[in-house]
Amino acid sequence: MTFSSKDLRTFLSTYKIVALLMIIAVIWTFFGAMTYDADLGGSQFLTARNFSNLLRQMAITGMLASAMVFIIVAGEIDLSVGSLLGLLGGIAAVLDVLFHWPLAGTIAVVILLGITIGTFVGWLTAYQGIPSFIVTLGGMLVFRGAVLGLTGGITVAPASEELKYIGQGYLPGIMGNALAVLLFVLLVVLAFRTRAGRRKNDLPVSSMPMEIARLGAIGAVILGFVLTLNSYQGVPVPVLILLVILGVFTIIGNKTVFGRRIYAVGSNLEATRLSGVDVNLVKVMVFALMGLMCALAGLTTTARLAAGTPSAGTGAELDAIASCFIGGTSMRGGIGTVIGALVGALIMASLDNGMSMLGVETFWQQIVKGLILVLAVWMDIVSSGNTR
Amino acid sequence: MADYLLEMRGITKEFSGVKAIDGIDLAVRPGECVGLCGENGAGKSTLMKVLSAVYPPGTWSGTILWEGKELHARNIRETEEAGIVIIHQELMMVPHLSVAENIFLGSEPTTRAGFVDYDAMNACAAELMKQLKMPDINVALPVMAYSGGKQQLIEIARALNKNAKLLILDEPTSALTAAETETLLSLVKEFKARGMACVYISHKLDEVAEIADTVTVIRDGTHVATRPMADLTTDKIITLMVGREMKNLFPREEHEIGEVVFAAKNITVWDTSNTARKLVDDVSFELRRGEVLGVAGLVGAGRTELASHLFGCWKGAHQGTIVLDGKEIRIRSPRDAVRQGICMVPEDRKRHGIVPLMGVGHNITMSVLGRFTRRGLIDAETEMAAIQGEIRRMRIKTAQPLLPIASLSGGNQQKAVVAKMLLPNPRVLILDEPTRGVDVGAKYEIYKLIFELAKQGVAVLMISSELPEVLGISDRVLVMGEGRLRGDFPNTGLSQEKILAAALGKQDQVAA
Repeated sequence: MTFSSKDLRTFLSTYKIVALLMIIAVIWTFFGAMTYDADLGGSQFLTARNFSNLLRQMAITGMLASAMVFIIVAGEIDLSVGSLLGLLGGIAAVLDVLFHWPLAGTIAVVILLGITIGTFVGWLTAYQGIPSFIVTLGGMLVFRGAVLGLTGGITVAPASEELKYIGQGYLPGIMGNALAVLLFVLLVVLAFRTRAGRRKNDLPVSSMPMEIARLGAIGAVILGFVLTLNSYQGVPVPVLILLVILGVFTIIGNKTVFGRRIYAVGSNLEATRLSGVDVNLVKVMVFALMGLMCALAGLTTTARLAAGTPSAGTGAELDAIASCFIGGTSMRGGIGTVIGALVGALIMASLDNGMSMLGVETFWQQIVKGLILVLAVWMDIVSSGNTR
Repeated sequence: MADYLLEMRGITKEFSGVKAIDGIDLAVRPGECVGLCGENGAGKSTLMKVLSAVYPPGTWSGTILWEGKELHARNIRETEEAGIVIIHQELMMVPHLSVAENIFLGSEPTTRAGFVDYDAMNACAAELMKQLKMPDINVALPVMAYSGGKQQLIEIARALNKNAKLLILDEPTSALTAAETETLLSLVKEFKARGMACVYISHKLDEVAEIADTVTVIRDGTHVATRPMADLTTDKIITLMVGREMKNLFPREEHEIGEVVFAAKNITVWDTSNTARKLVDDVSFELRRGEVLGVAGLVGAGRTELASHLFGCWKGAHQGTIVLDGKEIRIRSPRDAVRQGICMVPEDRKRHGIVPLMGVGHNITMSVLGRFTRRGLIDAETEMAAIQGEIRRMRIKTAQPLLPIASLSGGNQQKAVVAKMLLPNPRVLILDEPTRGVDVGAKYEIYKLIFELAKQGVAVLMISSELPEVLGISDRVLVMGEGRLRGDFPNTGLSQEKILAAALGKQDQVAA
């Protein structure tokens, strides 16, 4: 059997994630080679410390991108997330620094506010019929204005130790290991329950060696991930939050009625409505979820900087949207995955991190990132054979 | 004879190893009309896409001779320059541009300064309209100001303007009224007399019989027969298409008609853009358990609008009372309707029926996902078992249960949409043009299903523009015209003429 370029194309369009991981491998190899320093005994890019940094850098964009995927899949867009992140982060800083609220109270209020604002934006779009582009373009200005008014244009510092832990803390090594083991056991149990279910309903079941190989590979990835991070300082808290979001959102997307409907709405709104689905409610819920993610991202940002700054999150919406598109989300809606968007965010973060390390000037960094976005989407179009 | 205008020989086209068409021959003489018949998925559209170079040479094998010489067109523009013009089933017009601008799209006449010469363009377009016997069309108005039928004729004007020697019409009458169909057919006859050749693709075999000189039948991608129409009848064409004798087009089964389950009283629906205009005007009717009620009428009679109201998806103003099982119910959205036991299979499958990017299976279970949910999560295994049950029951032909529905043929897509609307176990099922663009085999299966449902006690409301279908399926027939109910006949001794006369509001003249 020969493996032609056409086969490769089919393979890559079916397993987009493989193509994306290949891109990451190329980027990491490149930066790994470029930062090789014989005096320091190896590549500066490919170290546990830098891996940890890289993941922490992508965490905030990743949180926004996780929910942005659903927004774009549902056929909408949200340009206000950077400003909303700034506003919610600012509120968190004010509550924490000026009013000395307990952490739980600050988190609860910020999350509640995020969901409320998201719901309101969704309501304006879904029930009042204002295009989301307009609503969120307005929101972008309103929220940024609000945070400037709230902070008076100055930095609110210093944040309490508890809050800082969310953005700067690390999980102790032993807990990281415990979580990894727990996750692996959970995946194994789920895999065998799925097999039992399929057998019960007379559906084809993959062979046992295949299943064991698959689970073994997953186990190796989890193990490698945790051991690498533990060899530095442990799993960073923002990364842990992001991984939990990845898990929950993937389940929402694949296994819940709500998730199924997000994709249906984005693929054909009218047909979905005529199937007896409350499509407006689906849209409002997607925006509410986006609001929740803005709250988490805002809290993490403030915690990481140990301060609320009026410019926090500027441009974050564009990074989040770019991550989604690099990760294979379709502009027309209906297609996209959370894991894809996170890998997209990782690609962006890798470029930022690697270029900074090489001392590339900021303007070049922007140019390269812009080109990579266009290139990634072009490759996606070519590989799926959708050129005109 | 060597004097063929077009000869296609041994055309074979593969899609990823699967032969969509396999060695098909098609020949057309000048001034001849060839009817091309075959079920959905038989390969008619693929053949025409090969001819019009949508699939460029090299992606298929075989030879095409055009006026005796081999044709080497690489794209649609070049085939059109040669004189082959195809008019697709879906209209290809820019709705906001004027009639004249659409006709001249891509070949706009210009003044010496390089601007569009609107005077010449409009004059020329008006002349074409006169030739097409539509002198009352204002060529300066946007195309969307005219009905689908008129737009179809405007497309033909575009083809004439390109000096077509061969006109390919792909299901041209699927959205036309009877009168518009008549005009179209007479035009084609006139073109024939002038020496223009034509390939006519249609499921409506009566039309084929009326205008075709020769009929070519293809089945499953292979050439079955090419015969003069004089030697054929529509029944014979069906036999050739299906490959087996279709004795009974309508598999009628006895079913018991029970008490009244559903009543619509004084339904009035207003237009969304012209809010003073009534699209449905004070219509009332009852529907019994196990009854199949046909709704006939011309396009624009208000039937789809009536169905939209009953299903809660009309976006404009509307009023009226809906009674289910003796209780008045309120339906504000399709969701309300489905919950109360009223389901609808919409007319426009592509826009309102399928969710194209999702799998066949996920389309089918869309309305009843809650059923497979345990502790908030969809149980993929029980869902899949249900999907496979539906695929078997409806005989949906799909390689895999989760293949994107858009990759299926029209008939199989329709079966999936019907399956979707049956899973909620409706008391009342509204079918709006359930067999439009569906091949003979799938039609038969949909009819069988309708009778099956009636036997189980479902009340079926079927809107259809095909009168033989209305007569073959219904227990009772409602006739609508200009938004009003113009007749409510039991289906005994009813004829197409009587229905048509009622639809046009000419009952008395016919009776006389």
